[in-house]
Amino acid sequence: MNRKIIHIDMDAFFASVEQRDFPELRGKPVIVGGQPNSRGVVAASSYEARQFGIYSAMPCSRAYQNCPHAIFVRPRFQAYKQVSSEIHAIFKEYTDLIEPLSLDEAYLDVTDVESRDGVATLIAKELREKIFKQLQLTASAGISYNKFLAKLGSDQNKPNGQFVIKPGEAEHYLQDLPISRFHGVGKVTEAKMKSFGINTGGDLKQQSLLQLQRVVGNSAEYYYDIARGIDHRQVSNKRIRKSLGSETTFQQDISDTQEMLQQLFKLLDEVLASLSQRELLAYTLTLKVKYADFSQVTRSYTGDTVISLQKTASTLIPTLLNKTDADTKSVRLLGISFSNLLSHKDYSDSQLPLFN
Amino acid sequence: MNINLSKDVLLKPLQLINGVVERRQTLPILANVLLEVDQGVLTMTATDLEVEVIAQLGVDSKASGRITLPARKLFDICRSLGDGADISIQVEDEKATLRSGRSRFVLTTLPADDFPDIGEMEDARSFTLKQGELKRLMDQTAFAMAQQDVRYYLNGMLFEMGSEQLRTVATDGHRLAMAEAAVNIGWNDKTQIIVPRKGVNELQRLLNELDKDVKVELGANHIRFTTDGMSFTSKLIDGRFPDYEHVVPKNGDKILIVDKDALKQALVRASILTNEKFRSISVHVKPGRIVIHARNPEQEHAEEEVEVDYNGDEFEIGFNAAYVQDALGAMNELQVQMVFTDPSSSCLLHGVANESSRYVVMPMRI
Repeated sequence: MNRKIIHIDMDAFFASVEQRDFPELRGKPVIVGGQPNSRGVVAASSYEARQFGIYSAMPCSRAYQNCPHAIFVRPRFQAYKQVSSEIHAIFKEYTDLIEPLSLDEAYLDVTDVESRDGVATLIAKELREKIFKQLQLTASAGISYNKFLAKLGSDQNKPNGQFVIKPGEAEHYLQDLPISRFHGVGKVTEAKMKSFGINTGGDLKQQSLLQLQRVVGNSAEYYYDIARGIDHRQVSNKRIRKSLGSETTFQQDISDTQEMLQQLFKLLDEVLASLSQRELLAYTLTLKVKYADFSQVTRSYTGDTVISLQKTASTLIPTLLNKTDADTKSVRLLGISFSNLLSHKDYSDSQLPLFN
Repeated sequence: MNINLSKDVLLKPLQLINGVVERRQTLPILANVLLEVDQGVLTMTATDLEVEVIAQLGVDSKASGRITLPARKLFDICRSLGDGADISIQVEDEKATLRSGRSRFVLTTLPADDFPDIGEMEDARSFTLKQGELKRLMDQTAFAMAQQDVRYYLNGMLFEMGSEQLRTVATDGHRLAMAEAAVNIGWNDKTQIIVPRKGVNELQRLLNELDKDVKVELGANHIRFTTDGMSFTSKLIDGRFPDYEHVVPKNGDKILIVDKDALKQALVRASILTNEKFRSISVHVKPGRIVIHARNPEQEHAEEEVEVDYNGDEFEIGFNAAYVQDALGAMNELQVQMVFTDPSSSCLLHGVANESSRYVVMPMRI
């Protein structure tokens, strides 16, 4: 049976929250991020600002050139987090299968939702109406039978709109879609694909798996599938972090390996504490070293069993540090991170215990 | 204080002692070894406050005195001297000077009075057995000890002393290993104590004159193992070991016999394509053979068939391959008996003709 997936994407989220909370900003080009004379970048911009060609991640100085009368405001992440959790509370009225992508985007699997006769487009409409009524913010929605298509759909009638891609419509919809709209295609992949004559979804579909491997390597299978509207990824509400780490930049470069080790052990204690706080175990430990000349290396170790134990990890650290040039070069930054994470629960779920 | 001795007699005890010296000490003096000389006997002590090892040897010295020296450096110096080299150590004004041939090293010292004591043995009872026997009991079970488990009593090995038997048990909560030997202990009650992981690991290293005796003394809070020239003391873990006998399956009616090495090798190969986190394999047991399946997240998979002696009902059960491999690796017998009850109950493994070591492995859900 086909799944019913809704992708909800808040419209110009940070900027809209600012305009909501500060009425004097309404109807004006608002840029959330760094100050115009700083080295910061644009985190979000209101639709009024977008008319001046301003987009996220653009340097603030450029944004200022494009639109000198824009109002630059500092982000208030606490406020956005709060609003985000209010939005999630509305989602939860319908389903627990919610996979947040960021503060302003989430996938919902509404396959088993019964309200509105289980019609996903009606559910999406009601969700957006509730968000507007309760929070005075607009959202766009994409509705389809998998994550990839739902995400495409939410972009189609933005802002404050929604779009459905039904089974059987996908290939037609994708046919003329510019390749840059496909999730996962950034500037580099786009240029690469274009150099192989792949400009649209239709072009992508023409490629055999083998040809795609030459263009995008390991991701070939993913692109081969999505060109056909196929995406088997589940909406998962227990998406766990991929990695957890900490790093520190020293006020002065250090060249004594003993001191480096001391700093690393300090970082280790910190990261182990937050791992255990989140009830996570790890199989991989990565050490990051940035030398005084700003060049950077990482060294990592993956164990057969969990290595996120104080003793195991602290014996690994000197070994990893030995594989760098830290003994001959001075160092400006050290970091450690754990990846290949696994929750305590998942671990104990599959392996049955001897004692209850 | 002045000591003269040869590298050859000093090196080995020094090496044994060094294992106890913690690399990340909380107290600086724990990086040191305590040297005490009295009436021609040199006593060397190292401790991490949890375990303590003492070695004694005869030296050419009329003086008496006590001092502590950096253990690692002392060991590294001795190790790199030529074989048969003569060493003299002289202590004067908080410095120790070590001379050998044309080499001279001046080491810092810390006062012997500051060297910590692991505590007295009180009301000790004792028994004696062969070092080889004790080592076997530990070697066959140590792998199953937990590591830094919050159930602190699992981070060690249970020693259970009955009147005529010594048994060791270790478990991490997923699998369990137990081994036993006939030993004339002569105590009336059954006594259980838990030796911490570090104590077990060090003792495994220290016991290497296998046909000689080791005396085991048990106090209220410590256990001490004494051999010719060496004594090792460990604090005990103050806790109750779980009721292990309760989890050894008794009603298993599905019994198969398999060649240990054939199964071991099949598991090694199948493990290549397991999920590296869980190491899970599924074992399909059929009359006359088992089929082992492994699959990894990339959807690669492996299949291994092993001939077995079995003629009961077919069933399928999941395991962490590493747990089964560990158990097989610790057994001495070539033919192994595996006893199953059902796919959600533990499996018991032991030698066909020999149950002196037994292993219990809990399955995984498949």
